[in-house]
Amino acid sequence: MKSKLPQKKFLFLKVSKLVFFLTVLFFSQICFAQQSITGNVSANDSALTGVTVQVKGSTTATQTDRSGNFTITANGNSTLIFSSVGYATKDVAVNNRSVIDVKLEAVAKEMNAVVVIGYQTVLKKDLTGATSVINTENSSKVIGNSVVEQLQGLTPGVTVRTGGAPGENAAIEIRGVASFTDANPLYVIDGKIADANSTINSDDIASIQILKDASAAAIYGSRAANGVVIITTKKGKSGPAVVHFSAKYGIQQIPKKWDVMDAAQYLQTVKTQFANSNAQLPAGIAAQLDNPTINNNWQDDIYRTGNTQDYNIGISGGSENGNYLISGSYFKNLGDLVANDFERGSLRINTEAKKGRLTVGENMVLSNSDGNNPGGGINAFYEAPLSPPVIAVQDKSYVDPITNPAGWGFGTNDIPVYTNNYLAVAALDHIHYNYAKIVGNAYVDFKLAKWLSYRFNAGIEASFDYTKERRDTGIWRYANQLPSTSISDDRETFTNFLIEHTLNFNKTFRDHSINGVVGYSYQQEKRTYTSASRLNLNTINGTTYTTISSALGVPSSGGGVSAFYRLQGYLGRINYAYKDKYLLTASGRIDQDSRFGPNYRTGDFYSIAGSWRISNEAFFKSNLINDLKLRASYGQLGISSSLQALGGSWPILGYINNNQRAIYGVNQTPVIGESQATINNPDLRWEQRNETNIGLDAFLLNNRISVTADVYSNESKGVLVNVPIAFYLGADIGNYTATSLANAASIRNQGVELTVTYRNYLHALHWDISVNGTTISNKVISVGNQGSGINYIEGTDFIRSQVGHPMAAWFMLKTDGIFQTQDQIDNYVNKAGVKIQPNAKPGDIKYIDLNGDGTINNDDRQFVGSPWPKFQGGLQFNATYKSFSLNLQLVGVFGYKIYDDIRRNLDSYTQLTNFRKDINPWTSTNTNTSDPRLGLVTDPGINDNNRAESDRWLENASYLRIRNVQLAYLLPQIFMKRSGFKNAQIFVSGQNLFTITKYKGMDPDVEGAGINQRGLDNGNWPPARIISFGISADF
Amino acid sequence: MVIAGCTKKLDIANPNAPTSEDVWQTPGYAQLGVNSMYSTYHRVGLCRMQFFMNIIRSDEGFSTSPNGALINNFDQFVVTDYNMFERRAFYEDCYVGIARANQVLDNVPNIVGLDDASKSQFVAEAKFMRGLFYYYLAEYWGNVPLQLKTSLTTDLPPTSPRAEVFAQVEKDLSEAAPALPVSYDANNVGRATRGAAYALLGKAYLQDGNQYQKAADALQWLTEGDGKDVYKLTPNYRDNFVITTENNSESVFEFQNALNPSDNHDDDVNSGSDNLNYGSSIPPFFAPRPIGFTDGQARRWVIDTMEQEKTIGGQRDPRVAATFLFDSTDVRGPDFTMVYGQTWTSRGYSNDPGDPIGVATNHTVYFRKFLNDFTDNGESFHSGNNYRFIRYADVLLLYAEALNGIGRTADAYQYVDRVRERAGLQKLSVVKPNLNQQDFLIQLKHERICELSGEGHRWEDLDRWGDLSPKLASRDAGFSNFVVGKNELLPIPQQDIDYNPNLKQNPGW
Repeated sequence: MKSKLPQKKFLFLKVSKLVFFLTVLFFSQICFAQQSITGNVSANDSALTGVTVQVKGSTTATQTDRSGNFTITANGNSTLIFSSVGYATKDVAVNNRSVIDVKLEAVAKEMNAVVVIGYQTVLKKDLTGATSVINTENSSKVIGNSVVEQLQGLTPGVTVRTGGAPGENAAIEIRGVASFTDANPLYVIDGKIADANSTINSDDIASIQILKDASAAAIYGSRAANGVVIITTKKGKSGPAVVHFSAKYGIQQIPKKWDVMDAAQYLQTVKTQFANSNAQLPAGIAAQLDNPTINNNWQDDIYRTGNTQDYNIGISGGSENGNYLISGSYFKNLGDLVANDFERGSLRINTEAKKGRLTVGENMVLSNSDGNNPGGGINAFYEAPLSPPVIAVQDKSYVDPITNPAGWGFGTNDIPVYTNNYLAVAALDHIHYNYAKIVGNAYVDFKLAKWLSYRFNAGIEASFDYTKERRDTGIWRYANQLPSTSISDDRETFTNFLIEHTLNFNKTFRDHSINGVVGYSYQQEKRTYTSASRLNLNTINGTTYTTISSALGVPSSGGGVSAFYRLQGYLGRINYAYKDKYLLTASGRIDQDSRFGPNYRTGDFYSIAGSWRISNEAFFKSNLINDLKLRASYGQLGISSSLQALGGSWPILGYINNNQRAIYGVNQTPVIGESQATINNPDLRWEQRNETNIGLDAFLLNNRISVTADVYSNESKGVLVNVPIAFYLGADIGNYTATSLANAASIRNQGVELTVTYRNYLHALHWDISVNGTTISNKVISVGNQGSGINYIEGTDFIRSQVGHPMAAWFMLKTDGIFQTQDQIDNYVNKAGVKIQPNAKPGDIKYIDLNGDGTINNDDRQFVGSPWPKFQGGLQFNATYKSFSLNLQLVGVFGYKIYDDIRRNLDSYTQLTNFRKDINPWTSTNTNTSDPRLGLVTDPGINDNNRAESDRWLENASYLRIRNVQLAYLLPQIFMKRSGFKNAQIFVSGQNLFTITKYKGMDPDVEGAGINQRGLDNGNWPPARIISFGISADF
Repeated sequence: MVIAGCTKKLDIANPNAPTSEDVWQTPGYAQLGVNSMYSTYHRVGLCRMQFFMNIIRSDEGFSTSPNGALINNFDQFVVTDYNMFERRAFYEDCYVGIARANQVLDNVPNIVGLDDASKSQFVAEAKFMRGLFYYYLAEYWGNVPLQLKTSLTTDLPPTSPRAEVFAQVEKDLSEAAPALPVSYDANNVGRATRGAAYALLGKAYLQDGNQYQKAADALQWLTEGDGKDVYKLTPNYRDNFVITTENNSESVFEFQNALNPSDNHDDDVNSGSDNLNYGSSIPPFFAPRPIGFTDGQARRWVIDTMEQEKTIGGQRDPRVAATFLFDSTDVRGPDFTMVYGQTWTSRGYSNDPGDPIGVATNHTVYFRKFLNDFTDNGESFHSGNNYRFIRYADVLLLYAEALNGIGRTADAYQYVDRVRERAGLQKLSVVKPNLNQQDFLIQLKHERICELSGEGHRWEDLDRWGDLSPKLASRDAGFSNFVVGKNELLPIPQQDIDYNPNLKQNPGW
């Protein structure tokens, strides 16, 4: 972007230096005089606007006008550089000419882009594996708590699901989920393996590559199977110092609230509900029935207009001898739900220095994140819509001096409802967290020969996490016991060291080109924790003391090492090309991991890939297709993070449990007993992934269209699951499920990915459009020996990973409409004549008795849908016209089902909770409805209508969303002159502006609680709608 | 590149907990490993669920639990789920105890620096405990795998026939007995003794096909041998069931329990918690409504049997009141019978005859021996009251049964008399002298239910006598579903059969 800008104006100091320099030049080389040069720049016979024309080795530059004409002053012996986005840059020697006309060739610029693929960079055109290069111009336009959130919809094969809480990390899956435990990719930031969570400032990021197949990722061996995200941060560029500044401010709101009843409607509906069940109205309802004294929409009380603020300032520059970048940033997100906020400050210093054959550099970021949220485990997204409108948030009349001194509103004896008052939670239970973090690496690069260089890389990631929770006195729910006040402090220290030695080589002889890397990598990771807490805070004269030492109860503490392991690997990759037509890549890694036992401590991971550039064959003649390359790869990768999550760092060691107690003696004194409680499985190892990929890359129509397509089939083997073990082994893990971790399951993901990009830079209006689409088909192949006749793993009552079906799929009772008459109920019998739903009344839900045993129970559940989308896609449109530019991003996710648990609560008619405004309950005169009759759950028929395991609560969650629209305006030159800015752009953008969906919940982009509940909307914090504006400037 | 140097770095010890290999190097650890075996009692299977199998399932008890599965499985012989938690917890906990004993047996002999006397005693205690747990397995499941070494997930032992399992029990106990101390000091009372080993060995020989001679030989140590002065019946029968008189002179072997008022879980392993359980949880499960859950209760015919004979002083047999809580635990009737601090009458139980589920009636009879109504007005989830697994009275009756079995009926009388006399009854040698072998056994059956009802021995007695059959349905309707040749044994948990192809399910299952 910056290169397009005219640079006519110099600062005074620079001008004077230049004048001095030119004066010297004038006298020494008098024969080459300054002269004015004019000319025209065109491509394909049409004039090119906005081409930068620069005198090589100087800062003199101009741009072509609408007709493609330019005028510049230069020496007769100088060289002019013509550059424009989408065209090959051309150097033209002046040779004392005064008129120079130039034709530029259009190129797809990313074809010759350099791509970081792990320990090595290659030209994008030479890639043999499936690697997505993210256009950071798109990702940087989205406001996200983490970089992952910004990637949604930008590239095929990468699924991102967002949670909206300040500081929350989004869920990312690359080519589907192939583990029951961990789907997170490996992140590599500037060559350092480190987590790219919300503590990392995404404004620092220069490029993102996602390695999706075995060929691309094999160099990361035992940790690569979930894909690798390679992040490169910004570096200083050759040239004088540039100060970059940006500021962005956005307001954010919950995109949608539940449309629930107001007090008058609520009271009448409750009246009907109780009347239908012949129950007496609670006194508090009866009293307000005809004259509601309170009409409270709880959602208005707990949602607010939040905001995001994002400020960055940095200085960067460089020369032949090195470069530097120093940048500071501040990000703040005030949540759209009260009492939730997150802020982060960070400082980045990236430098590099060169001397002869030696290059030394470092990349480092320091960041400090702070956040607040209420504790108590209360989810506001449930409580707000469910709370009855006839109770106020807070009122003097609610005060109970002991249990409710602040008078928070919740259920009463007269209105016995059990919703929680989230504002009371926010006031009474505070969690504050602080994450201080450093991520950095330093390297030495020594050129041993023209074709061979050695690199030493050492990195550290360290974080210091602190969470403090304070519980003040008071309750937030009807009939709650008053808990003790308390204070707790939890601290965690995480360190991760990396040391690597690599040799890179690159040699070309005749038609053969060979390059690659070999190396050794050593890593240590350690996480320790300390926790302490104490009950009974001391309050004196209205002041509450909130340190552990000041509290009065018995202190309790804990601590330990939650992770500690080392890993070393021997890695290598070789790329061979013949005549730029035949490309072959072989890569592999031997990893050794301290967490595995002697049997499986060492693992080999490898891949092989080939590609064929057909377009370079003599027989290939096409005016349409400029470049066509076919790719194929196969490899075996591993993932070890699942084992850490399930079994810790010592999963194969049986440890001694010291919690047994024998009783001896006349005094019956307990004495400690110890024994090994678990039966260890010495054969635990990484989960393995076998990946096959076939793809093509093509450029068409003078490189204006680029196409990348991939088809893949990945099968994970040895997926970790808990399998039942025999009771006779005497394994004693305390919860009476004799199970043992085993590498026993298998999952397959197959899919097709397509990206098509069209660019049109021929006219003053530059625009490009890119669309991508992904299909992923997920299937459980095996779940290990779970017992006879059991070919599934069950999470909850209705989520099952069953062989032959997708993971975590919906296994539920099927509903079959509503019973309209008593006859229908009486005639709903099985073969033996047994009434299947004897408790039902007209207006109740009919369930299908799948096994025909005459009752509706868990055995009647069946596969009713998948939480995984059949198709997901994205569209990005960028256009620039003169000073204006537009960015538009769409995201679409189709063909999946989400379980709407908030609607289930609203529609269950329990405990005096509020109702959807648009419910249309069945009555004998209102039969054309899908909502069953109103009544109380004490009625067994109503209770049956609420069965959580029924497909009543599943909804089609397909959606199409305008993810982001941004309009930017480059401030005119006149402004630059006055302000001293080199260039400045202002912009306004709208994020998540509009969503087309049938989903009835707050938002269909549900992150879900982990892999095994991916489709469960249990109060997911919906991604906010954000309107933001900002400025970005260089000076 | 540094390769060899770094490979060593990949061995990282777990700083959070030691491993088996680490701890068994230390002499001091041996005692901790031994303690672990004795902790096994506090697990659900042994402190609670076993009594559903040996009391509720037998003809003396039944269930009116709101949990229909308990009624079906433990009263009606209707079993569908072979993995049912309430049943297999007993099986599983026996093997947990065996695994702990195996760890002691595999490691203690190799500890350098541990004196031989300690080694010998610890090994003997481990053999006793292993014998005890296999005794339960042989009795209730019969044909089970023998796991005699520290377990590995690769262990796939075959089914051992019931006789082989009993043979293992007999081997362990025979080896343990001579090496165990006769008694312990005040700080160690409750650990396995020589008498306990001989008593359990005698029981095993009887259950294992009524091997009367061998049983008599084993029990003889307690009745006529060196142990005869170690034990004597307590003057007060009830002392054997209340927490204030644990480990008394009649105690041969007790499951030692204590109450941790702040315990918060149900077994004896819960990493990281300091609120450990070291008690028994049977009292709330057997306590009357509304004190407990009343998942198991007593048949009234046992009271009728016990009331057949008055004491010498013309009183009701005192064992009735010690054994049952019912409307006339106090002979004066419901106005005087105390139920946890209130009279039966004031509890307001209904007069509905029979035992409708969920309703306590005047007709209901509750097992009292495990309850704490003697000391408390309620039950907490756990109780510190010891379970008297082997009482000397039981030993005397078994010895009489063994002597009778080998034709020494006349010699057997004296042991029955000691038990009857303590209860205040006339001597059997006076009431029914000169019974023949067969009639003496019939009389012994009566003596045993009167003395031992509600203590967990009834099922084993019926089994040993060959009395388990649908004929018992006249006392306990559930037995109408009893299938001879099948229901004597419980089904092996399906999970084990799924895991180990070498295992066979029990006959008929």
